[in-house]
Amino acid sequence: MNTAPKPAQVLAALLLCGLGARAGAAPSYPVVAAQSSLSFVGTQQGERFTGVFRTFDARIDYAADDLPGSRFDVTIPLKSLDTKSTERDQALVTADWFDVAHFPAATFRTVGMRTTPGGVVADADLSIKGRTKRIVFPFTWKAASTGATLDARVTLDRLDFGLGGGEWADESTIGRKIDVIVHLTLAAPAPVAPAGKVNGKLPPKH
Amino acid sequence: MALRSTAKGWGPVARAFHWGMLLLFLGIIPVGYYMTDLPLGLAKLKIYALHKSVGLTLLGLAVLRLVWRLGDRRPTLPPMPAWQARAASAAHALLYVLMFAMPLSGWVYNSASHFPLQWFRLVNLPAIVGENKPLAALAKEAHEVGALVLIAIVVLHAAAALKHHFVDKDATLRQMLPSKGDRR
Ligand code: HEM
Ligand code: HEM
Repeated sequence: MNTAPKPAQVLAALLLCGLGARAGAAPSYPVVAAQSSLSFVGTQQGERFTGVFRTFDARIDYAADDLPGSRFDVTIPLKSLDTKSTERDQALVTADWFDVAHFPAATFRTVGMRTTPGGVVADADLSIKGRTKRIVFPFTWKAASTGATLDARVTLDRLDFGLGGGEWADESTIGRKIDVIVHLTLAAPAPVAPAGKVNGKLPPKH
Repeated sequence: MALRSTAKGWGPVARAFHWGMLLLFLGIIPVGYYMTDLPLGLAKLKIYALHKSVGLTLLGLAVLRLVWRLGDRRPTLPPMPAWQARAASAAHALLYVLMFAMPLSGWVYNSASHFPLQWFRLVNLPAIVGENKPLAALAKEAHEVGALVLIAIVVLHAAAALKHHFVDKDATLRQMLPSKGDRR
């Protein structure tokens, strides 16, 4: 039995390796802002409240067969938050919370992706209020007829990011756990154009 | 001991409602004025929560008090000019309206501005209206004007009671006081 690879097979393998190693090779999917949301659920005085970030920029490069070439890069201007309560929104941008005057945006950058028994998981650096934490970000990717959807839910501890320290740290008034819910609708990737930033501007309040 | 009011005086239940709720009103109104000027912070949130809890307690008591009153009688009024009797009844009716209007306008304001509502950290109460900024502004206005009207009526009502007691020296106040005297 001849086990030596044929020259053509060697060439194919080399090509594949080369492709796989090239970062950013995965196609870049533009976000369909009107059908996407970045929301969070917190608890205040025993009651859950939901907030959304009305704008965010997301670069989503993804290919299930090219995890090293896949990456998510998201920037969230924090003053775009809306929890449907003027008083709470005003409080959340102050120094005790997001301190938007000094830290206008949060960023989320994947540093790698891997396959786990539960599905694909990204490891990402999340920076809020000048503090960066490596988080595990499991997500569900569903290919659609054109484009795809990306859904994820992670639970964060607000104190990891200095949100509501001091007197607010006591969680009897404002809970520590915050659920972040991501739902992105992605259009078909642009054929050749290099991946660009996509503005995820949501329609104004009504 | 009879719980109901008699011809000679208000019964113990009516008196307990009257003076008990007076104490809560004496607490909640100054707290209401004080808290709004506090800087944004946990203390403010906690004091608001206390104001709302006491307000909801007053709403519950107002329901019970009204139900009790509807099944109760009022004592015979000491002799007094008819206009005074009418004014007193009108004041009592208005006070009942305010006992409901105050906490309900607070609740509407709270719901319309999408704030949580918890009764002494024990139970959460639902919003009675959806988020609605114009309605919130209206309910806030009603709550503030209502507070002024409430204070004005209570002052008149208390002044009238004291006038009957010290000037006319009649039984009006004694019929409501928790002393044995005129009641059977
Ligand atoms: C009998 C019951 C109540 C009384 C006598 C009362 C009285 C008052 C008073 C005197 C003020 C200050 C008004 C001003 O700033 O001009 C106030 C403010 C307020 N009350 Fe009440 N209250 C009652 C019940 C409630 C309830 C049940 C709630 C909520 C569920 C509530 C929510 C508020 C709020 C949110 C404010 C602040 C309004 C602002 O920001 O100006 N109150 N209340
Ligand atoms: C220092 C304050 C107060 C004094 C001296 C006072 C005195 C009295 C007196 C003497 C009566 C009996 C009147 C009669 O028999 O016709 C009475 C009845 C009444 N008072 Fe007051 N009162 C005070 C505060 C309040 C407050 C804060 C409220 C409610 C917000 C209130 C609501 C009523 C009502 C509704 C009645 C009719 C009896 C009933 O249905 O309970 N009073 N009050």
